[in-house]
Amino acid sequence: MPRKIPWIIKYRPKKIADVVNQDSAKKQFIQWLESWLKGKPLKKAALLYGPAGCGKTSLVEAAANEYKLEVVEMNASDFRRKQDIERIAKVAATMRSLFARGKIILLDEVDGISGMADRGAIDAILHLLEVTKYPIVMTANDPWDQKLKPLRDASLMIAFKRLSERDVILVLKRICQAERLECEDNALREIARRSEGDLRSAINDLQAIAEGYGKVTITLVRELSAYRYREYAPFEALQKLFNAKYIWQAKAAVTQTNIDYETMMIWVNEHIPTYYDDPEELARAFDALSRADVYMGRIRKSGSWDLLSYVFDMMGPGVAFARRIYKYKWKIFRSPKRLQLLAQTKRSREVREGIARALAPRLLTSKATVKRDVIPFLKIIFTNNPKYAAKIALGYELTEEMIKWLAGPKASQVLAYYKKYKK
Amino acid sequence: MSSSGEVLAELLWAEKYRPKTLDEIVNQEEIVSRLKKFVEEKNMPHLLFAGPPGTGKTTAAHCLAHDLYGENYRQYMLELNASDERGIDVIRSKVKEFARTRVAANIPFKIVLLDEADNMTADAQQALRRLMEMYTATTRFILIANYPSKIIEPIQSRCAVFRFTPLKKEDVVSRLKWIADQEKVEYDLEALEAIYELSEGDMRRAINILQAAAALGKITVESVYKVVGLAHPREIRQMIQLALAGNFNEARDKLRELMINYGLSGLDVIKQVHREIFSQDIKLPDEYKIIIADLAGEIQFRLVEGADDEIQLNAFLARLAFIGKKLKS
Repeated sequence: MPRKIPWIIKYRPKKIADVVNQDSAKKQFIQWLESWLKGKPLKKAALLYGPAGCGKTSLVEAAANEYKLEVVEMNASDFRRKQDIERIAKVAATMRSLFARGKIILLDEVDGISGMADRGAIDAILHLLEVTKYPIVMTANDPWDQKLKPLRDASLMIAFKRLSERDVILVLKRICQAERLECEDNALREIARRSEGDLRSAINDLQAIAEGYGKVTITLVRELSAYRYREYAPFEALQKLFNAKYIWQAKAAVTQTNIDYETMMIWVNEHIPTYYDDPEELARAFDALSRADVYMGRIRKSGSWDLLSYVFDMMGPGVAFARRIYKYKWKIFRSPKRLQLLAQTKRSREVREGIARALAPRLLTSKATVKRDVIPFLKIIFTNNPKYAAKIALGYELTEEMIKWLAGPKASQVLAYYKKYKK
Repeated sequence: MSSSGEVLAELLWAEKYRPKTLDEIVNQEEIVSRLKKFVEEKNMPHLLFAGPPGTGKTTAAHCLAHDLYGENYRQYMLELNASDERGIDVIRSKVKEFARTRVAANIPFKIVLLDEADNMTADAQQALRRLMEMYTATTRFILIANYPSKIIEPIQSRCAVFRFTPLKKEDVVSRLKWIADQEKVEYDLEALEAIYELSEGDMRRAINILQAAAALGKITVESVYKVVGLAHPREIRQMIQLALAGNFNEARDKLRELMINYGLSGLDVIKQVHREIFSQDIKLPDEYKIIIADLAGEIQFRLVEGADDEIQLNAFLARLAFIGKKLKS
């Protein structure tokens, strides 16, 4: 099977013209970039802002591609430590050598910084703007936080508008053609409608359906929407969690979702091995999750709900940063088997519980002890000695269902004796 | 097996051959003689019975009540099991309800028997202590615990503490012999000794093994080991081996099978894993066995403290897989 590349990466725009719509933003951005290349920047930084999935980062990458520039992405959380700031400042301040390519320094999602409540990071970026010899591009969904004001003042503000349904459909169609996918028009329209202008999520939806079923029909889209209602929220949260670049993104993935944290924990528990193959990463991720679970247990016991923050730290960043190197991976996160198994085996567990309830008072012990220490031996008797088993069934007035459960393959024999003796 | 024909219903031997009166208890002599004093005086303090599983604590409590109240003793005794009751509130309302009913003519108190009391949290035990004080005029509590240290000091100081010791080999073997004779089953003496070794002094477990082995025919060393092997799913060992070979996903499937099909709790699994680690079939350098045992201990502690079975055991298996990888390279 060929390795699956996420389509949002595979179909990333290569040229500025490929970036859908956003003509005014493109014009401003190119003007600004060229002013830099001519050596007389209008402003040292540009802050691209607009709703998620409208093409901010795509435009930066496409432009870099056309102008043969290298994109150096900076991690916003790097701005918290002095030596990191100095390292980045050094890179940014170094004049380009004769042979090296030019650079664009990209600070993605700077609105996350305000979430870190970290004044120092803003100062560090301002310092970076002073010394830089390269254009600096920042992106944000919502740049209007008070803490970001110094950055707004120092940057050329470039607004991106929400994409229309038509824009989204256009891109989806292009992808369907390139992938030779059978796509119904109204199916694409439905995906676009539900994306609310977020092209990234629309492309992800398209890929999820296409890879699951090999074609894209309106029925499948509607099913996904039912699926999404139940399962999309965790699915999306896991995608964000595992692919988080920064600590705060990983934490946001587990806190800013409408799934409760206990369900989220079950999903993360299920999908750590979906995402991690390397045994070391796997062990580290599970170690972090098990710590989250320990905190959860302490909360339940002590009622100290302020420990919940540590649950999120371990379940979010702890799990996401178990990796040794960052790499975006597209994975399908299905509903946890644990929940399915519990549903499938519900009856069986009820029968076992019933046997334990019947035996515990007679053996003067707890149901838990009966399940652990008595039922295994009872099963041996029932599967090996049907005649004797039938007598015990009589002694404890076990139901037919209990006898079947205990005797397994020998059920009919035990039941035959049981009925004979009962008369 | 008795094949008399008249009475067809059979019981588990753990019930059938359980002593009914203090006189029938063959070991724990010192404890029994002290309990008999209470019967003579028709009075007793609150009691705390502590000791390992299968040493006769619950049986002694029932025999004591039997000797105090006669055949229908169970109507004067409220039997609770802390691991089955959901929280102190349920226990409180049951005790309250029970304390309200009449007492027997010649004994001025009723008995609340609380088994596995060491499974209660410290907070629940505090509430229990208040209950004991509130109804002390009309009720006596018998608390049963494996670990007396897990019972809070204020409760211990209000109880007469009885320490049950692990049963001696000759006690267990002679009891098994007696039962086997009653049931007219054939046995090898070494087989009964093997049962003692495998049951680690737990009489209930020993009798369960005896009865299951008898269901297979003559009780031999082989049939005893077969029974214990069947009762211990071999999936535990397979699970460990899969994890060490780096097949985390398959090991996890085995874990689910154990927990769902066999109904094992996380604690059951980790305890059996601990036993398996040191067996000859797990091929590992000794120093790694120690590392894994330490890890198993940590996981067991977390589970006792209320952590999630599957998450903790997955973390354990993931570590095994990582250790397995390090050993290969």
